[in-house]
Amino acid sequence: MRVWQGGGRTFANVSNERVQDWSWQRTMRRVRVLTRLVAPYKSKAALAIVSLLAATLSGLVPPYLAKLAIDRGIAQGNERVLVEIVAVFAAAGLINWVTSYAQTYYTGWVGERVLADLRRTLFKHLQRLPLGFYERNRTGVIVSRMTNDVEALDELVTDGISTLVQATLTLTGSAALLFVLDWRLALATLTVVPLMLAATALFRVYSARAYLAVRERLGHVSGTLAEDIGGMRVVQAYTRERERERNFARVNEHYREANHRTVIYNGLYFPFVDALSGAASVIVLGYGGWLVFHGQATIGTLVAFFGYLSNFFDPIQQLSQLFSTFVSATAALDKIMGVLETEPDVVDSPRARELLDGIAGRMHFEHVRFRYRPDLPEVMHGLELDVPAGTTVALVGHTGAGKSTIAKLLARFYDPTEGRITLDGIDLRDLKQRSLRSRLGIVPQEGFLFAGTVRDNIAFARPDATNQEVEAAARAVGALGFIEQLENGFDTQLGERGARLSVGQRQLVAFARALVADPRILILDEATSSVDISTERTIERALRVLLADRTAFVIAHRLSTIRHADLIVVLEHGRVVEQGKHDELLARRGFYTSLYTDPVVAAG
Amino acid sequence: MDTALTHTPARPSNRRTFKRLLGFLAPYKLSLALSVVLAIAAQAIQIAVVLLSGMAIGAIRNGHRHQLWALLAIIAAAAVVKAALMVARRFIAGNQALGVEYDLRMRIYSKLVRLPFSFYDRHQTGQLMSRATVDLTAVRFFLGYGLIFFAQHLLTIVGVTAVMLVLNWRLALVSLAVTPLIVAVAYVYSRVSHPLLRDVQQKMADVATSAEENITGVHVVKAFAQEDAEAGRFAERNERLFGRSVQANRQRALFVPFLSFVPLLAQGGVLLYGGWLVIQGQLAFQWFVSFTFLLLMLIFPLRMLGMWIGQAQRATAAGERIFEIVDEPEAIAEPENARELPRGPGEVRFEGVSFSYSSDDRMVLDGIDLVLEPGRTVALIGQTGSGKTTLASLVPRFYDVSRGRVLVDGVDVRRLRLSSLRKQVGVIAQDPFLFSASVRENIAFGTPEASDHEVEKAARLAQAHEFIHDLPDGYETEVGERGVTLSGGQRQRLAIARALITDPRVLVLDDATASVDATTEALIRSGLREAVRGRTTIVIAHRLSTIALADEIVVLESGKIAARGSHEELLSTSAIYRDIYEHGLVEQEMAGRLEEHAGTEPPSGNGSR
Repeated sequence: MRVWQGGGRTFANVSNERVQDWSWQRTMRRVRVLTRLVAPYKSKAALAIVSLLAATLSGLVPPYLAKLAIDRGIAQGNERVLVEIVAVFAAAGLINWVTSYAQTYYTGWVGERVLADLRRTLFKHLQRLPLGFYERNRTGVIVSRMTNDVEALDELVTDGISTLVQATLTLTGSAALLFVLDWRLALATLTVVPLMLAATALFRVYSARAYLAVRERLGHVSGTLAEDIGGMRVVQAYTRERERERNFARVNEHYREANHRTVIYNGLYFPFVDALSGAASVIVLGYGGWLVFHGQATIGTLVAFFGYLSNFFDPIQQLSQLFSTFVSATAALDKIMGVLETEPDVVDSPRARELLDGIAGRMHFEHVRFRYRPDLPEVMHGLELDVPAGTTVALVGHTGAGKSTIAKLLARFYDPTEGRITLDGIDLRDLKQRSLRSRLGIVPQEGFLFAGTVRDNIAFARPDATNQEVEAAARAVGALGFIEQLENGFDTQLGERGARLSVGQRQLVAFARALVADPRILILDEATSSVDISTERTIERALRVLLADRTAFVIAHRLSTIRHADLIVVLEHGRVVEQGKHDELLARRGFYTSLYTDPVVAAG
Repeated sequence: MDTALTHTPARPSNRRTFKRLLGFLAPYKLSLALSVVLAIAAQAIQIAVVLLSGMAIGAIRNGHRHQLWALLAIIAAAAVVKAALMVARRFIAGNQALGVEYDLRMRIYSKLVRLPFSFYDRHQTGQLMSRATVDLTAVRFFLGYGLIFFAQHLLTIVGVTAVMLVLNWRLALVSLAVTPLIVAVAYVYSRVSHPLLRDVQQKMADVATSAEENITGVHVVKAFAQEDAEAGRFAERNERLFGRSVQANRQRALFVPFLSFVPLLAQGGVLLYGGWLVIQGQLAFQWFVSFTFLLLMLIFPLRMLGMWIGQAQRATAAGERIFEIVDEPEAIAEPENARELPRGPGEVRFEGVSFSYSSDDRMVLDGIDLVLEPGRTVALIGQTGSGKTTLASLVPRFYDVSRGRVLVDGVDVRRLRLSSLRKQVGVIAQDPFLFSASVRENIAFGTPEASDHEVEKAARLAQAHEFIHDLPDGYETEVGERGVTLSGGQRQRLAIARALITDPRVLVLDDATASVDATTEALIRSGLREAVRGRTTIVIAHRLSTIALADEIVVLESGKIAARGSHEELLSTSAIYRDIYEHGLVEQEMAGRLEEHAGTEPPSGNGSR
């Protein structure tokens, strides 16, 4: 559990599409969260709603007008009425066009805005959360809150809600109009609707299951592909091409089989729906025809019925599709709310004060006991350690001995359970976190770099640093040479889509970053991977520059670092077992010596 | 957007690419023909149903009861037949689509498996993945579904138009007046929306990356108290995404409602002009009704037609990117008369070997003459970029020499069967890659038929048995992406076991102990000492302690042999070697003691001795 180790990039987990809690209370909380997000954009949201209503209603009018045109215009031979009705028809179309434009635009705008705000809030909140949160939750899971879950919500917010309203309105509106036109014919025609609902429900259940399998197996296909591309050199080195190809064919075939089921479901459902709409037309023509023969309905009514029938089939399908969107969006919202409701546990006390300039940098651990959580065992059992200002301390010990914990407590990512840590005699808890950290530099094990230029990365702690300062820092750690050879020098883009630096080069940039921050106290986790000799030398030189005149805690892996430290602290099970200088400790032939000769423990 | 593969010649014409894509349908000619026939039949029935419905309305209007019942019976029967035809077509076309997808994927995979190391040096996994997934999706969607729908929609349009013209050509012209507009607008929308939507996707990825990066690097952000600055930067990207999304949304608002509006105009036109014709007695009422229905039938296909044209262009572009992989030359190929590696002691000979990664590049190796005596261990040392790894990679023929030749037991590696050669050359790479599989499967990767005993033997030889034994499921423990995370040292040792199980004549160790701590290195080294016995071994190492395994040391400098000899000889003759040696002294001081202890009892862990 080493804090400054970049978490591995995990595959985004398939979001669990189950909502745990449907209670009224929880539901209201969800609604409140959403309303609070929409609240700042009331006027646009109102416009969206108004235009949505107008668009839906104007969309319902044309079939009715067609009926009027037939019954009052064509059937009566009245050209003037026909022209008037068609004019209204065109006007309704025009209104529908304009309001649909407004509806699409405003709902989209509000939806996107809400999502952007949510992302920003979430991001800010995540930044406030303590490192403990990041250690409890896997990186991939936290990232998926920001990505997958927000996207799941995206579907609902930008499209889902308006579709829901529109489909429902169209459905009920059309039904109402059918009954207004002719309630008997409406009843007769709507007998197909239960069948349609039943078929759709069945189809949803089965095809959802089938698509889940398809997604899973497609994930398997991509996973296999990615792994085989990544390991292609091994595959070829061992001439396993044919076997891997067979394996891939199997995975591919598996996927095809899963997909085959969706072909069957789709192949049955859609023609069935089509046949149902055929049945509805037969009913309209048959029963409607009978009504007309008996003078109880008009031809125009029949034509209008045809127009409204299609208004039934589409919305039912849309709504059933929406259901799964709705469920996964709710699940996503719950997960996001879970993060937003997590409160940071290290907070500034009200009497916390700023650190003065010109601190010396003496650190004192006074009988520090610590456990990560109340339910976890204690990892630090009364640590006593006094470090005079300007001392370089090498922390040495097995994995789990407590080296990283010391570093985390120093940076006040956690507070001690008992005892206290003082800086120049002041309890860390009495200091503002920001003020403490601005005097503190941390260099993680594998120099973590952000996407951005080399300059941005070096000036990370002080974005206002001048070019001269950045270059001076790079020169001091011996990074100037390779930076100047990069394509765009200090302006070269690094990270995801930028230039790739070697391990040693990343280290040097991280050193330069710490140097620009110019902290009184430095915490350094040395990299374990070895680099070629000239880089190794540069790093050693850079370290000397970096550590000079600071209080430094080094989680040391390099023999040379340990040898040159002012103080070596050997830790074991959360206690200091030995401390002193290299030669003293070696002479003692105690734990320090044995530490490097214990193969079983060190291999972990 | 990813960059083009480097070997692409001039951009092939779209039409040629499109034709090649159609080639993937060749195995499915029969089912393709069948689905088209079924689609035509279904559409013909649909048009008939619409005409019959119009006639039924006419019958109702004129009070012809018997005619109505007869028409209804036919309509009902036609609807059933049509549904049956649709089911059949969907089954046939669906399976064909899946087949095409399967074939496409296999085609790409088989190619990837055959591409040489130099190809993988040039292309990142992500880039290749995007071709094998995103581009493949575009192509298979078009070939699998798009073409059939396209044909069906085209048929509908042609059929309906023809019927309309026959019924009443003047009314037909009025109602069809807007059709070109619909197709054109749909096409334009498909064209302009695609780049914008892709940009939205890109911006979304930017936001996600930024979030991911901050979450991964949260300790750095917090350590330097940069939360606010980072939040500001994130907000900036977030706003950029918002801006683009709103833009895309506005575009949608402009096009989509318009596409619904235009057909409504045509309906109004039919209502007005058709109604007038009926009133004037120039058009039978039933045909007027049929016209209204026919027009409804046209709208969807017309809109889709425009979309499909856009789809076809996208599929062609994606197809081009896929063909770039498919057309990539397989540089390392066996000759027709490739032979098995004859029995031999494992002598490796480099004769005047020069190498450059591409013809215009600088020479990485320049005239290397070197003989590795059977059973001896040679350490290659030198600065990064001096050519050590390249030289070693020539033995298993991961690359071909530019000049000169590499011989194993007297045979030029280019004349050997690759499987026969590589089985005899074990390679342990710098950062060993393990597959998501059990420990056993990873060790037995090169020889899946290996017995449990052989697997364990190799593991013991590589000093891996102990830790494997301690894993939750021993040799059956899953490792890799979805399994247990192993330390660098443990992965190394598995890789060594994987190389040893085939009992190769020649062993290549590339800096194999770089990323482990001193104690683990000592363990690995004692494993290696066993492993190299009786094999010709090339060790690429930086540490003196690893170099100490070698019988002979070869110092490379800028692709040439700068010095060779034993440790003592080189100390006096080679400055580079002296440099390495002096630096390594500190390390060696510990390392020597380490190895003494590695075999003995570990000290008790209470720390109070």
